[in-house]
Amino acid sequence: MAAEGTVPLNSLHPWAWWCWAIGLGFAASGTTNPLLLTLIALAAISVVMLRRTKAPWARSVGMYLALAGFVLVSRLFFQVLIGSGSGPTVLFTLPELPLPDWAAGIRLGGPVSAEALMATVYDALRLAVMLLCVGAANALANPRQALRSVPAALYEASVAVVIALSVAPQLIESVQRVRKARRLRGDTARGVNALGAIALPVLSDAIDRSLSLAAGMDARGFARTNGLPVRGALPVMLGSVMVATCGVFLLLSTSATVAALAIMGLGIAGTTAGLRLAGRRLRVTRYRRHPWGWHESGVAASGVLAGLIVGVVGGLDPVAMMTPTYPLTWPELSPAMLVTIALAILPLAFTARPRPIPLDSSRHDAPQRTVRPRDAELVRP
Amino acid sequence: MNAAPRLGGRVSWALLVALGMSLTAFTWPLFLSPTSAMSPAQAPLVFALVLPLVLAIVLAEMAGGRMEVKQLAMLGVLAAVGTILRPLSAGTAGFELVFFLMILAGRVFGPAFGFALGAITMFTSGLLTSGVGPWLPYQMLAAGFVGLFAGWLPRASGRTEIVLLAGYGVISAFAYGWLMDFSFWPFALSGDTQLSFDPAIGALANLHRFVLFNLATSMGWNAGRALTNAVVILVLGTPLLRLFRRTARRAVFSPAESSLDGILPATPRLG
Repeated sequence: MAAEGTVPLNSLHPWAWWCWAIGLGFAASGTTNPLLLTLIALAAISVVMLRRTKAPWARSVGMYLALAGFVLVSRLFFQVLIGSGSGPTVLFTLPELPLPDWAAGIRLGGPVSAEALMATVYDALRLAVMLLCVGAANALANPRQALRSVPAALYEASVAVVIALSVAPQLIESVQRVRKARRLRGDTARGVNALGAIALPVLSDAIDRSLSLAAGMDARGFARTNGLPVRGALPVMLGSVMVATCGVFLLLSTSATVAALAIMGLGIAGTTAGLRLAGRRLRVTRYRRHPWGWHESGVAASGVLAGLIVGVVGGLDPVAMMTPTYPLTWPELSPAMLVTIALAILPLAFTARPRPIPLDSSRHDAPQRTVRPRDAELVRP
Repeated sequence: MNAAPRLGGRVSWALLVALGMSLTAFTWPLFLSPTSAMSPAQAPLVFALVLPLVLAIVLAEMAGGRMEVKQLAMLGVLAAVGTILRPLSAGTAGFELVFFLMILAGRVFGPAFGFALGAITMFTSGLLTSGVGPWLPYQMLAAGFVGLFAGWLPRASGRTEIVLLAGYGVISAFAYGWLMDFSFWPFALSGDTQLSFDPAIGALANLHRFVLFNLATSMGWNAGRALTNAVVILVLGTPLLRLFRRTARRAVFSPAESSLDGILPATPRLG
């Protein structure tokens, strides 16, 4: 957390990155073309590499790459071991081992065909790219800034999350203090016995901390918005969630896609409206509201458009975005796919490479203080 | 110590809707039709869009406007404890140390607090360990329900209470694991192996396949998690419950309305 420093206001709004990444994820979910999937992944990774900051979460993309690799490998492993997909091009044959009847007559091993392997690779690649898109959003969006822009109805919950995020590092220090005290007393218990001797003092320390924190928050007027209900918010929210649930259910269990999507959209819109309504009970002001400008709109729109293109093209012609594996063919890129990839990498045009901000003050505690960027820094590319 | 306080009417309605939605979300492989436009790999994405809204509503209802500042601070600090415990313990054969806190806190501070603690712990640890993905709303809901039902357990005291909570720890560990595995099973294993989800063969046959898949892959994890819960609750349960209850008395936690309402004059309203 220490490297985080000051959050400059000239960074992009975190929800814009999330919109872009979710749009890309939808684009990836609608295709099995390995060329398109690989290019989307490359686009996402290059945007991350060129636009990430030095913050701790920005390093997470390697972890997501490893996760994506794990998905690919584990799916291939299961396909080879218990796959039943058959094809004319048998690559090799494993010795067979039939399991008893209660195990549904599954056999381990058997012939492994190139068609089944490629189908698995395409499907796993799609999943891996979807994971990478989420990882890209994780690396680019500042989670604390994102928390500051949640709807007002979630104010209390977001305060709790912020407390948790800031108290967590202090707890480690608390564990060290308790262990040092134990050693000074000559307490040498280990294993399960030591668990209680360390865990209980740490927990009770944490709880004492929460009480003094509560006193401090109380004195500053936090959570004083109790008991200001907004009439009508709950029925709106609950009704719309039920509508959205029906929409999801219909979408998955019937073939009436358009109607189901419309019902789902209605439910989501109603829920958002209900949350806004419920947020009215709060009279809180926000310090340094993160602006949403045309850069943000551009980044968000490029992701959403990419998702829409794949969705619409795939909806009009179900095979347009798929690569057949039976018979095996070489995947090809269509113009629509090229547009999708261009959109995926478009955020590079809307954003600038993050720079460390020169501080006006030369005091040694300056990086810890909230420093407004100088006016020149607010001008984006 | 009396049993956990009951929830208000508004929250119960929100909870019922959340339960319905979660049931749909966790058991979607049972009713996915082969004629649907969604492929098994896409369905969790649809939920990843809708579930955050459900969570937002339940959390807004449970935390918003009826949580005192002391509860809020306690929620944050306990979530921080869980956040630290999770990466310390995750990964090694189901040895997971997050759930006992939700269970014990839900027991003492009530179901609404338990739900909020479960959901927020999963969220913050997801943020800190960069584990944000389509699975996060599922984890938040499932962990929230672990804390919620702990608040609804029947009255008991002394040794019985600890055994009851440890038993609940075992059951909830398996329920959590099965629900999470079931909802991501079609996602985890692709189209045409003999253990993977196939919308065309019907719900029962799919359940059979899932049981086999689960036995083969994650049974050890679930059992490890259940064992961890039971052991930690048996060892630390009594002192932790005492600690929480002392705090609850000291801080006068009052779940529904402030207990000072009758004593103090009405607080001036803002705006």
